[in-house]
Amino acid sequence: MDRRKFIKHSTLASSLFFVPSFVKGFEQVASNRLGYKRLVIIQLSGGNDGLNTVVPYRNDLYYKARPKLAIPQNKIINLNDELGLHPSLTPLKRLYDNGCLSIINNVGYPNPVRSHFRSMDVWQTASDANTFSQTGWLGRYLDRYGKHPYSAIEIDDSLSLALKGEHLNGIATQNPKVLYNLSKDPYFKNIGTHYNDAHLSEHNLGYLYKTMIEAQSSAQYIFETSKTGTNKMEYPNNKFGNQLKTTAQLINSGLETKVFYTSLGGFDTHVNQLNTQGRLLKMYAEGIETFVNDLKLNNTFKDTLILTFSEFGRRVEQNANVGTDHGTANAVFVVGDQLKKQGIYNGMASLSDLDDIGDLKFEIDFRTIYATVLNKWLDVDDESVLKRSFTSLDFI
Amino acid sequence: MIRLMKRKHIQHLFWRVGFGILPEANDTLSKKSKKAIVNQIFKDSQYVIPLKIDTSEIDKFLNSDQVMVAENRKKLQKLSREKTIDLNVSWINRLKHSEAILREKMTLFWANVFVCEDNNVVYIQQFNNTLRQHALGHFGDFVKAISKEAAMTKYLNTKQNRKQSPNENFARELMELFTLGEGHYTEEDIKESARAFTGYSHNLKGEFVFRNRTHDIGNKTFFGKTGNFTGDDIIDIILEEKQCAKYICEKVYRYFVNDTINENHVNEMVAVFYGDYDIEKLMRFVLLSDWFYDEENMGSKIKSPIEFLVGMNTIVPFTFQNKKQLLYLQKQLGQMLLHPPNVAGWKGGKSWIDSNTVVLRLKLPSLILNNAYISKAKNNASDFKETKKAAFKKQYGRFIKTVANWEVFNTNFDEVTMEAMDEYILNCDIQKEARVYLNTLDKGSKQEYCIQLMSLPEYQMC
Repeated sequence: MDRRKFIKHSTLASSLFFVPSFVKGFEQVASNRLGYKRLVIIQLSGGNDGLNTVVPYRNDLYYKARPKLAIPQNKIINLNDELGLHPSLTPLKRLYDNGCLSIINNVGYPNPVRSHFRSMDVWQTASDANTFSQTGWLGRYLDRYGKHPYSAIEIDDSLSLALKGEHLNGIATQNPKVLYNLSKDPYFKNIGTHYNDAHLSEHNLGYLYKTMIEAQSSAQYIFETSKTGTNKMEYPNNKFGNQLKTTAQLINSGLETKVFYTSLGGFDTHVNQLNTQGRLLKMYAEGIETFVNDLKLNNTFKDTLILTFSEFGRRVEQNANVGTDHGTANAVFVVGDQLKKQGIYNGMASLSDLDDIGDLKFEIDFRTIYATVLNKWLDVDDESVLKRSFTSLDFI
Repeated sequence: MIRLMKRKHIQHLFWRVGFGILPEANDTLSKKSKKAIVNQIFKDSQYVIPLKIDTSEIDKFLNSDQVMVAENRKKLQKLSREKTIDLNVSWINRLKHSEAILREKMTLFWANVFVCEDNNVVYIQQFNNTLRQHALGHFGDFVKAISKEAAMTKYLNTKQNRKQSPNENFARELMELFTLGEGHYTEEDIKESARAFTGYSHNLKGEFVFRNRTHDIGNKTFFGKTGNFTGDDIIDIILEEKQCAKYICEKVYRYFVNDTINENHVNEMVAVFYGDYDIEKLMRFVLLSDWFYDEENMGSKIKSPIEFLVGMNTIVPFTFQNKKQLLYLQKQLGQMLLHPPNVAGWKGGKSWIDSNTVVLRLKLPSLILNNAYISKAKNNASDFKETKKAAFKKQYGRFIKTVANWEVFNTNFDEVTMEAMDEYILNCDIQKEARVYLNTLDKGSKQEYCIQLMSLPEYQMC
């Protein structure tokens, strides 16, 4: 048992009052118990071009590699002497100025895979590039620390691998009402009512009954609780905006959910990247700012951490179609108001020291970010979830 | 004396080698012996009828002698994406209608052993037909053919595997997922065997091309043997390992018999399979064994989404008005054919089921066949039922538009009594508590009762 866990357990026995050296730890635990920490994941699908998102606008190599794609210096939103944001990210700059954004540069993993599906699998399962896991990292978190399917909710129609565990899966819903309506047929209620789970829980049929009953009660709980949640902001009218709106409503209703999973797709910009990426980043930044403001007005932002990633970045050099091909390392955004290291967490990748294919060499393994979030935010043992020990970072 | 087969056993057999059986066919077969029925199943599967959709527009590009320009490549990709939807639908139609039920079920099985995906529909169609061709053949020939498929050399990067810069991806998965299982080889074995698969490539049409220039002709040491092995040699050496026969027999057992391995049964299978590697012989042994019909094996598996969809169609044939809905449902249920989650394939068993899929599965028979309506309590007037059905349709049925053909059902269940219906539609006993509730319901017509039965968790079992 590590110190944190020990403290947590011992609080229950109130024995902590007599252990002065733990007083500091106790304060931390107390705040954990008062607040209900949640994690929101935003997945940018398709491979967002990190270099045109967080731009090394003083680097000649950047402009040399991208004569048609590079963002001109006069359009950049400056962050510091080296780095600036894509012009569509003004709302994100406001979060940055308020100390609510931490930009972790150059995040990736060893032996990067440039296939969307495979690389997304790697990010979702936290596996090595050459191993296959059939459980997701959040699914394994559920296995150990989740109580119900609704402990992790994906705002979508079907469940991603990320939220599938060995014993417990999260639940997916775009609209709690639709899910509830689908599950609430009196027929299902009635066949499950008297079901005696004791005999059959080991068998496949027993598992079906158990999952059915859980699904019904989860769907009902989510729907009925969510009705009490409100949005105090007007969201941009697009699919991503709606996902965040639903997420905020669920959070503001006090739903006992630890993880929310959302996604924004379309970043696979092989052709004519400028317009597409500009439009998507605008959607992303406006959505997230609205979301943060909504949570703030409902006093739930302080207990929420938002993590944004993409399955890979893109090649340094532009291609022949004014686009970019699949690459490797990328920036990860962490949004919250309890950030330990605000602003830019680490420096940009080298543009001169590239790999054989002409891609960035990663510096930070994404799993160290997961480990940090699990350990320092969700307050659980990251090693048992990630199946390996990773050194935590200090952004929270 | 000939031992006739019980109806229940016939149903079990046809669920495992296919997608269920209708009452009339079952009654006909119940006058035959197990051996006769199993023989007939193999006879029906002796010919290979390739699955072929119209790809002429794409063939034009692939048969051209000219180097493809970027613009055409894009066109090809777009066409290919559209045609892959057609291939998916054709495959499902094949599963619904083929006489060669065992060959088709085995093709589906092998597609989840030799997992592959490609964005070129011509290559993936060819791959699919290679699965079909070898589905009941010699396992060694099968693996060799797979190793040379265009789609596979792309999927596991054998194409990029060159003498100067070896790529180990195929060699690793060949052993880890296709033949031996994790822990039965060393990293050194992977390194050495990867060298034997150098030079594998394909031309634009999708034919195998061996590039001498990039093949490593040097000596390789693999599983204690040394020689200038080719890829085929490596596969032959793998087949000498008894573990290979065991690994495949376990996969067959889990798919066709029970999620939980019975060591004794698998050992019997290995004794039949090892050496010959004759897949047909192995399957004949399994289907004729007594234990295949053990109580604990019948109705014990959770249907895969495809078994669920196609099996429903066996009882009440239906078609989607918009083919994209069929794909959408496959995705929602967690198994879209031609789009495996990764090279390890679908995990199957309990992992098919989560909160979302269980709700959808239970609701789907009524959505597809009965305007989303399942049941009414006793004593309700029948006109009320119609209004209620309309209301259900309005609420849930907007999306799914199907045409159900109840004629087949009506003819087949004409002679079946209401009391016996569950035995034909379900593969396991109904839970006592569910049975009590079911008895309180007005069964209405046989059609209504069929929907009620299909909406039980028990219907998910096969």
